[in-house]
Amino acid sequence: MTAGFAVQVSAFALSFLFALFRLPDAIRGRNRSIFFCMVLIAVSTGLSLPLIYEFVDPLLGGFNLANLLLRYSLYGVFVILGLRGAAAFGAEWARRLIVGPVGLVVLGLTVVLTAAFFLASDIPVTSTGLLDYNDQVSVEVYGMLGRLYPAYVAACVCAPALAAARNSRYRLPHRIGSGLFGVGLAVVVLFTALTLVADIGVFMLLLPFSAVILVTLGLAVMWVSNRLQMRRPAGAARLRNVTKM
Amino acid sequence: MGVSAKAFQSWRNRVAPNESTADLCRRTGIKRSTLAQQLVRGNVAVATVVRVARAYGQDPVAVLSEFDGFRGLAEGRRAPSAAELISQVPYQCILEYVLARAGADQEHPAVPKVAGYADSIAVRPWFDAVDPGDLRPKLSAATGIAPQNISAQLTAGRLATRLAVEAARQAGVSLTSGLVVTGVLQPEEGGWPPTGREEALAALTDAELVSLARDRLDALAKVLRKREQDDKYDHALLENLG
Repeated sequence: MTAGFAVQVSAFALSFLFALFRLPDAIRGRNRSIFFCMVLIAVSTGLSLPLIYEFVDPLLGGFNLANLLLRYSLYGVFVILGLRGAAAFGAEWARRLIVGPVGLVVLGLTVVLTAAFFLASDIPVTSTGLLDYNDQVSVEVYGMLGRLYPAYVAACVCAPALAAARNSRYRLPHRIGSGLFGVGLAVVVLFTALTLVADIGVFMLLLPFSAVILVTLGLAVMWVSNRLQMRRPAGAARLRNVTKM
Repeated sequence: MGVSAKAFQSWRNRVAPNESTADLCRRTGIKRSTLAQQLVRGNVAVATVVRVARAYGQDPVAVLSEFDGFRGLAEGRRAPSAAELISQVPYQCILEYVLARAGADQEHPAVPKVAGYADSIAVRPWFDAVDPGDLRPKLSAATGIAPQNISAQLTAGRLATRLAVEAARQAGVSLTSGLVVTGVLQPEEGGWPPTGREEALAALTDAELVSLARDRLDALAKVLRKREQDDKYDHALLENLG
């Protein structure tokens, strides 16, 4: 088992686990979008594992439609992460870049072009990550599109997240959570930038899946903190805590 | 920074020549491992010196004055100023006293009631009360400790022993005051009269008392506003990502 594969499996296991953890709350209607995001992360990481991909793709016709599904679920992940992240950190400009006119054009173009290059590629037989077809230019562009949109959103949200991690006005667990989240997104940006300029070998797996792990852990910290918060009675007497004034 | 272990040992041999370390620990309630560690490190905490002095019936301030870094402490022990005394009155007691004066008449004069020293000493209000405006930079220049480090300690409600003494020296107040408000010395050991705060409050005119109450409420509102703002940030975070 290579390091890359180990990271890949852990990323899938973690995201699957935390999607499960969030299921009961999601059924009750609490923060469904992040639950849905965790599910999509689990779908994306799952479909990048050969074992699952080679089982799912033949069910969808065996012409790598599962890979397109993977791409689209990844876009979904980043739309949710971007929106929720921007709202969480109070970064209005990031929200505008993601769902403002520019953001919607970028998203629309990405979705359409992804489908177009998928159709233009000659990929008749199931192949995880389309690795068997790497020699085709259209497959390469298709892969690049799939990295560019996530990097665009990640670039918008990672700055406010990292700023929150440095902000001592947030409580410590939230700073840690924001830090993991922000570093995860920064890794996404770094990864995409590196793929544009060089062949990064083993980091092709290591970087994106480490990012998944970091973001998942960051969200897990927030989830745990939220659970603990709910157990405490709301509106606790704060004035009582300020005695020595 | 406390006092040097060598000086501590020689002092201890003078005060209690026949007592072993075990005896000393039993008498003072200091853990043997704690004392041993301080001796090995060569730096004995001021709190240790104070406890040993008390256990052997000595004046902690006079004892501390024998050590380098604390020379002149006993000579610098004076009565605290009214502002220092009032800084150690919790805002609740001040508000209650305002109400008491408002309801007082000839037969029933208002009497200030203040919570015990142990429940109300706080270094930050004291520091603000003695600060003529440039105490932080002056204290930093005198000790070599960065101003942001001093501020961080005050925010956390602490001040290192040496800094507490030096702050009092720089502010021109009783040298022992800083040690009283950091809890190193008992108020009476530091020359603070037992009912000093009540007397200082009673000496205020109505206008001074009400202004004091207003200032305290302003400060309290500022702290609460900041906390509520912080809570709002944390809430937004959890609402969206939690």
